[in-house]
Formats: sequence, C-alpha cells, structure tokens
Amino acid sequence: MTTSTEAISIAGLSKSFGRTKALDGLDLSVAAGEVHGFLGPNGSGKTTTIRVLLGLLRPDSGRVRLLGGDPWSDAVALHRRLAYVPGDVTLWPGISGGEVIDLIGRMRGGLDRRRRDELLERFDLDPRKKARTYSKGNRQKVALIAGLASDAELLLLDEPTSGLDPLMESVFQQCIQEVKEQGRTVLLSSHILAEVEALCDRMSIIRMGRTVESGTLTELRHLTRTSIAVETARPLDGLEELPGVHDMVLEDHHARFDVDTAQLDTVVRRLAPLGVRSLTSTPPTLEEMFLRHYGEVQP
Amino acid sequence: MTGVPGLLRFMLRRERAALPWWLLGATVLVLVQSTQSQELYGTPEALERLRRTIGSNTAVIAMSGPTRLLDSIGGEVVFEIFAFVSVVVALMNMFLIGRHTRAEEETGRAELLRSARVGRQAPLAAALALAGLTNLAVGALLTAVMAGTGLPVGGSVLFGAAMAAVGVVFATLTAAAAQVFENARAAYGAVALVLGAAFVLRAAGDVGSGALSWASPIGWGQRTFPFAGDRWWVLLVPFAAAALLVAVAVALSRRRDFGAGLVRPRPGRAHATRSLSNPYALAWRLQRGSLAGWAAGLALLGVAYGSIGDSIQQYVEDNPEIAEFLPGGAADVVDAYLALTVGMAALLAAAYGVAGMLRLRGEETSGRAEPVLATATGRLSWLAGHLSVALAGSALVLLAFGLGEGVTYGLTVSDAGQVPRLAGVSLAYLPAVWLVVAVVVLALGWLPRPAAVLGWVAVGYCSVITLFADSFDLPGWVRRASPFAHTPQVPLADLTPAPLITIVVLAALAVAAGYAGLRRRDVGY
Repeated sequence: MTTSTEAISIAGLSKSFGRTKALDGLDLSVAAGEVHGFLGPNGSGKTTTIRVLLGLLRPDSGRVRLLGGDPWSDAVALHRRLAYVPGDVTLWPGISGGEVIDLIGRMRGGLDRRRRDELLERFDLDPRKKARTYSKGNRQKVALIAGLASDAELLLLDEPTSGLDPLMESVFQQCIQEVKEQGRTVLLSSHILAEVEALCDRMSIIRMGRTVESGTLTELRHLTRTSIAVETARPLDGLEELPGVHDMVLEDHHARFDVDTAQLDTVVRRLAPLGVRSLTSTPPTLEEMFLRHYGEVQP
Repeated sequence: MTGVPGLLRFMLRRERAALPWWLLGATVLVLVQSTQSQELYGTPEALERLRRTIGSNTAVIAMSGPTRLLDSIGGEVVFEIFAFVSVVVALMNMFLIGRHTRAEEETGRAELLRSARVGRQAPLAAALALAGLTNLAVGALLTAVMAGTGLPVGGSVLFGAAMAAVGVVFATLTAAAAQVFENARAAYGAVALVLGAAFVLRAAGDVGSGALSWASPIGWGQRTFPFAGDRWWVLLVPFAAAALLVAVAVALSRRRDFGAGLVRPRPGRAHATRSLSNPYALAWRLQRGSLAGWAAGLALLGVAYGSIGDSIQQYVEDNPEIAEFLPGGAADVVDAYLALTVGMAALLAAAYGVAGMLRLRGEETSGRAEPVLATATGRLSWLAGHLSVALAGSALVLLAFGLGEGVTYGLTVSDAGQVPRLAGVSLAYLPAVWLVVAVVVLALGWLPRPAAVLGWVAVGYCSVITLFADSFDLPGWVRRASPFAHTPQVPLADLTPAPLITIVVLAALAVAAGYAGLRRRDVGY
C-alpha cells in the first residue's frame, strides 16, 4: 500500500470528549479517485471523523493523513484542495443563498461562475432568498452547490442529501457521477443505501467509533449470508446440521434458509442429489448487511 | 383559545432566566432614583432651587418630562426616571412578546405546539396574558418601591399603573407588528422605531405646548402626573390604545398563514459583491447592522449629555450636593461632568466590544464556523475578522458619542472646537475598552464555554468600579484591576500616555495568548 495514491489514510484514530469515547481506534483508507461510502449508525463517529479530517478537532491518538498532509497542522493548505458539505447546514440568516455560495467559494480560493450558475439551475435553487427563509432542503442545496461548484480534488460529504426530495437526490447522484468521471475523490457519509450502492466503489462501515467492515460491495457481501429458497424431489433433511446454515424453515420438500456465503458451495453440493425443482438465491441487500452490523448487540 | 393555560405555564417556565433580570433592573433604577432624589431635594427649599434651574432648561426637560411634575418630591422622582424606565419596560415587553410569537414561528418551534391541541389564536393570547402578568408585576414592584421609600401611597400606585400601562401599549404594539413582519428582527425594528418616536414626540411636547406629548405612549404615562395632581382618568388612553392594538393583532393574525407575514421580506442579492470574499468582510457584514444601532444610540446619548453640559455649572452651584458625584468635585465642574459622561460611554463601548467579540463563539456553537474553517480560512484570520470588527466597532461607537456630545456642547457654548476636542477625549478611553475585548479573546482561546459569562462579568466589574468605587470605599487593589481606573480622566485630568501604552500592550498580549489557545483547541465544542 503506497500512501501517495491514498487521499485519506487513518489508522488507530481515537478521540474522546470528556468521558465519551467518540472514536476508538478507527481505520479508514480512501484511494485517490474513488467514491468511498462511509456508513454507520447515528452517533457512531462519522461526523467526528470528518471534523478531524477538516482539522477542526485534534486527534487524541492515531495517524491521520489527508492528501499527503497533516489535517491539523496543514489545514489551510489542504483546504484549498478540498470541499466540504455538512449534513446539518446552518447559514447566516440575513445573507442570501447566492452570497453564501460565492463567499464560501472565494474563501476556498475561487469558484467556477459558470458551473455555479449551472448547478443553481439543476438544483432549482433561488439564490436571492435570505437564508432565514430557506427550508432545510434548500439550505442543504446551498451547501451542496457551494461544494460542487469547486474543482477541489477531494469532496468530504457528511450526509449531504438529508432533506432533499427524490428528484434532487437523483440530480445529486448525477453530479457525483460526473465528479467521479473527472477522477476526483469523494468521501460520502450517508444513510441512504441506494445512494451508496449506486455511487460508491468501496465502503467502510463503522460502529461505536471503530471500523467493522471495509471493502467493495461484493467483498462485503461475501462476508455475509445468502438467502436460499429451494424445492426438491426428495425430502430435505439433515440440512440444518451443515456448517453455516441458519434460520431454517423446513416443510418436507420446501426449505427456506440463510447460508454464510463462504459455505454456499457445500450446501449446493448437498442439495444437488435431492433433485432440485426450483431454487432462488438472494444475495444480501445492503440493508440486511446494515441491519446486521447496526443491530448487533455490544460484544 | 384551547391550550392557553398550558402555553402560559410553559412560557413562564421559559422566562425564568430572562424576565426576572428585566424586572430587577427597572426596580433598582426606580429605587436608586427615589432615594437619591429625596436625599438631594428632600427639603422644599432644595426643590424650589431645582425648579428654578430646570424649569427653563429645555435640554433637561427634553430628556425627562413635563415640569409640572416638579411640584412635589415624588413628582421629581417621576420627572427624572419615568421616560428612562419607560424605555426599559417597553423594550422588555417588545422582546417578551416577540420571542413568544414571531420568533417561535420563525424557528419552527411553534409548529410543534400548534400541531397539538392548541387553538389558532392560543399562542398570541398566551403571550399577551404573559405580558399582562409581567406588567402587573412591574406595577406592583414599582408601587412597592415608591411607597417603600416613603412617598405617598396614592401617587405610588398611579406611578406603578402608569408604567404598567406603557408596558401594555408596547406589548400589544409588538403583538400587532409580529403579525405584519415575517421575522422577529424586522418586528423589533418597527417597534423600536415607534419607541424612538414616542420619546421624541414627548420631548418636543414637553418643551413646547404639550400637545405633541399626547401622541406618545410615554407622554400618556407622564401626564397622569403622579404626586402632582394624580390624574387617574388619563390611564384610559393607553388602555384604550392597547385594546385597539389587540383587536388589530387578532384581525391580522386571522388573515395570514402560519409562518407568513403581511409584508414579504425583500429578496437579497443573487451574487455576492466583490468585497464579500474573506473572513473580515463576513464579520463586518454580520455585525454592521448592530454596529450602526450602537453607534446611533451612543451618538444620541452624546447629544443628550452634551446639551446639558453648559448648564451643569449653574446646576451644581444651585445643588452643591451633586458635586460629590463628580470626579474632581465642584472645581472644573464642566470638565468633570464631561469626563464622567465619556467614562460611562466607554463602558457602553466595552459592552458593544464584548458582544461583538462573542459573535465568534456564537458562530462556533451554531455550526456556522465549520464551513468557514473548512475553506482556506485559518483560525488566525477567522479570529482576526471578528476581532477587527470588535476593536474598530468599539472605537466607532465611542467616537460617535464624543462627536455627538461635542456637537451639542459646542453649540451651547458657541465653540466649534469642542467637536474635535471631545472626539479626541473619547478616544483616550479606547485602550481600556480594547483591554476588555482582549480579555474576551483570551477566554475564547482557553475557556470557550464560560467565555460569554466571563466577558460580561468583566464589563460589569469595570462598571461597578467606575461608577461606585467611591461610594463603596473598596480596597485599592480591587479598584486597580479595572483598566478604566488607570485611564486618565480627561478632560478633567491631563492626558498621560504611559498608562495608555501599558494598557494597549497588555491587550495585545491577551490577544496573542488567546490566539495561542484557539490554535490548540477543538472548534465547535
């Protein structure tokens, strides 16, 4: 693993606020040019991680590298190369959306005027309204346009689509596709699984300040279970004793069960001699993987 | 009307922190005035001398009230304090109604309540009931203070009732304004404008024929003449006006949608101006409105103080007891008076500077600092943006006072040179103001959470030292901890640069230390 192709590299990051341990040895690695999904239940430390990456919080321990620099000591230089979209956008009540977009863009080091106007059009935002009159969704659009109008090489997006309607959600997805085609890097923290599935090359799932899974969707699926529904000519029995088989519902010729994806081969070999009449195999959805990780009781 | 009792209880619960302070402030003002006035003018001869000095002084009348009040010592107290406490009570009512009606709708909190079993008019009715209770408390407290300091009971009750009536008028006026404007700030602006007009109209009326005073809610209150004729029927005027304003507020609220006003807010710019491109411009943009308000307020205060500067000599000769309050005693009375007033303006400028500097913390806790610091804006320029506004702003506020005082004082003594003189005098107090701001920066760097409390404690401490150190006989070191105690009392004393330079150096050190802390700490917590 070479650090030069890594946009973000975090190893063993810990951060506490008083007695609350927000991050507890978190690892995260995002390659340059990839769209990386950053998933985890509420309060698992996603926002804290992003704030550390922005140099707003000082890590207690661990190694954090961002675009080849130190996010705390090189903050200003690094910020010229990244754009950030918060999930809970608060704006200055008396300043219009258009002014906020220009201000944020200029403070980062300039923004593309043509691109800004195009994004205003695509997101259907009236830039002349004062921020106090925007709805949550419109405040979110202001922050998104300010971020997307930049040509930053890294986008840090913290639940950027909360409050957007489905139409705007699809505009957002198009925009991220374009960013991806330009070879830029995106860290996308999100709860919208369809969004992550559609956009992300790889993803990391964190829980209680620690990374629990990391990889491509296919790799993550491999670690989880596949649902099987099968009907056979001869009665099905003895299946539940096979390693990796769970939640068996058996009705002599019909069976529904989950199997660890690693053990799929063994199970299929066992089924074949029974005369398979029908077989459906459903790979785990991201939802199921999520629920499994999110819902797990504390070890 | 469903849900009014529940809402009212909830509002009272939320008011526990703010409202008692307003009530306390108004009560203390009246208490201090009543005891001081009775001490100074308690004898018929002293009161007679006062009538002679003040009866022909238009500036004092414009700032206070109709001279008929000077008929008795109780009336003298009303003369001096009524207009001033009216402003306090009016502002208290304005913010009280505003934060429970329009501000609630603006933040969306009212939506949550309205979705429950709460009638359409219930929040408005509950807020007005709250204001009613508050003004009842104002009336009761002020009556108790006046009667308790030995003034006749009848006049004391009328004084309390008249002050409560002023409060009720401004509460109902705010209730109507809250229906018209979509955001609370605009409603406050409109009510404050009416309050300003009410003060000016009664000033013009009291100086002139008295007719204009009848156009002013403050004038209505004063023209009940407590302790000087006790005209109870005049109270009908404010209460009739309040009934009318309630009817208007209810009618307007029936015609509008939730969250909407009758006046559409003006749209802003689609593009930022070229200059809005750095943290300095942002801080200036965020604070220019309040800075303009403070500067205008202090300029007016300067105009008012300056206008009576020349008559202070005569006034002190007639009332030798006053000299005790002036630094330097009866000699150089006018310069002592000017030094005292500029010193008080400097405390207000420090209050502005603290409020302006604390915006930085507000930006941080509201989450608005985060997108700014995620750009190529470093913590130094983020801090410097707000600091520059607090430093330059407090200078501007102080200068506005000095110019205002210089203009009216210069006019009364026919000397245009007073304008630059008093402008310069006011700036001599600037280093001390800056040191208070610098203390806030230090707190923001190392103790961000209690920074607001620390900042206001610093202002309060300096105020107590400046205004009361002599009366309380405080130990020397307690006094010397205030930078204002080291500031030469110009124009009474000579300007000596050494202490000022020391104060500026200390301020610079505090800012540097504050920045060192800000660099090291987490932002947003």
